[in-house]
Amino acid sequence: MIETATQSVITGTMMGIIYALIALGLSIIFGVMNVVNFAHGDFVMLAMYLSFTVGTLFAWDAVITPVITVPLLFVFGLITYYLLIDRTLRQMYVVQLAVTVGLQILMRSAALIIWQAQPRALQYSFIQGNIEIGPYSILTSRLVGAVVSLIFIGGIAYFLNKTWSGKAMRAASDDLDVASLMGVNYHRTYALTFAIGAALTAVAGGLLMSFQQTDPQGGVRFGLLSWCVLALAGLGSLPGLIVSGIIVGIAETFAISFIDPRARLLAVYAIFILVLWLRPRGLFGRK
Amino acid sequence: MENQPMLKVTNLTKKFGNLVAVNNASMEVYPGEIVGLIGPNGAGKTTLFNAITGLYKPENGKVVFKGVNITGFLPHKICKLGMSRTFQVTRAFLHMTVEDTVRVGAYNRRNEKNVLAKVDEIIELCELGDIRTRVCGDLGLAQLRKVELARALATEPEMLLLDEAGAGLNATELSAFMTLLQSLNKDYHITFCVVEHVMQMVMGICQRIVVLDSGELIASGTPSEISHNQRVIEAYLGKRAVNYVN
Repeated sequence: MIETATQSVITGTMMGIIYALIALGLSIIFGVMNVVNFAHGDFVMLAMYLSFTVGTLFAWDAVITPVITVPLLFVFGLITYYLLIDRTLRQMYVVQLAVTVGLQILMRSAALIIWQAQPRALQYSFIQGNIEIGPYSILTSRLVGAVVSLIFIGGIAYFLNKTWSGKAMRAASDDLDVASLMGVNYHRTYALTFAIGAALTAVAGGLLMSFQQTDPQGGVRFGLLSWCVLALAGLGSLPGLIVSGIIVGIAETFAISFIDPRARLLAVYAIFILVLWLRPRGLFGRK
Repeated sequence: MENQPMLKVTNLTKKFGNLVAVNNASMEVYPGEIVGLIGPNGAGKTTLFNAITGLYKPENGKVVFKGVNITGFLPHKICKLGMSRTFQVTRAFLHMTVEDTVRVGAYNRRNEKNVLAKVDEIIELCELGDIRTRVCGDLGLAQLRKVELARALATEPEMLLLDEAGAGLNATELSAFMTLLQSLNKDYHITFCVVEHVMQMVMGICQRIVVLDSGELIASGTPSEISHNQRVIEAYLGKRAVNYVN
């Protein structure tokens, strides 16, 4: 019993850090642009498929595929921003919602056409295997995933705090008009924000493909997960995002271990509802 | 006075639905001047600033800055051309430090290599050294006004629009502020257009005053001309007051 619980905490922590990376993209897009991207989970799905295709084509390991999928998703993010999102910025909120939900349906349908309905997975990855510590085992793939995720989250923190573009993004997040009057080109800043948010899903997609399969409906799960993590964390705190990701990850593994593998989404939904009910600004959110 | 105006606003009209906030206003600011823009509350002064700096698109009229027609330009382009501003109600980047705030402005003309020199210079000039690493959200009003001025100066403007920058300052702060503006005008060659209610400041530093009432330009002249102008007294105090004043 205690062993199972401890094992769940270990596995859940590592999955949770990957979830935090997925939610990071959603978080910066929402935080900087105030755009709710309902298609975020489907960006992850697309990233996983691209990872599959790249991995199959070049016989690469999944964890290396982001070398190609990150630039692809970055460009896809830019295109999405300029063709769709940019035009919704001055519109009513519901227009934004309709556009991103529409994008979600479009991406799912496109995935169905391109990769068909069956799940796709890559060959066993070279980071497959376990590290045994006493009675517990750590899956190498999850460990690598968690470490790489932490590196990227740290990189984004550095980018936001130390670089010109990052400062421009934070300024635009605080007051768009003023940032604009101080010389910040908001079209470019927003495009960069959206593209980075998309590119981060490519990193996560590569990591996930090292131990999971993907299917055209996969976006639902990752969309919900990232929403839950973001709601729990609130906006503006990257450490808070990591902690929230871990909480969600552990809750999910507990549901799998102690209730039923099919109950994983139940745990996520339960947290989501509880947070929105009891503390809408999240555990670590600003204001 | 130089012959070419630095800023030339021609027949500018800005409406919000049926409300005409600025009606057919024209004004000019010449290089090196400190021009005061005054008028009763709701006269359209801030709206005029917003239309000049690109936040609002005017329904009609033209804004020319340094010979470039900037009507309808996005704000960041106008900023690049050399115009910056502050706000009546302070609008700080509440989650950023004072240093980062000034830095965002300084990137307007500088890159990572030489931005810090400008940031240091401005922080020194505006006496923000003590609160350099504080987050703007924790600062008081007088400090935020300084930060706003610093942020605008960091963009290295040739022209600066100040929207009631003197409001809420005590006598000592006000006189220090006026000295600072005059030194910026002389040493940094910055042209100013200031919206101001504090008459001590308007009369003290403005070479020329433009008066706006109900969205229309009603007078323009030297401070002493304006203080004796019948229409101005009417606008501020009502028609009957004119008899008492005279």
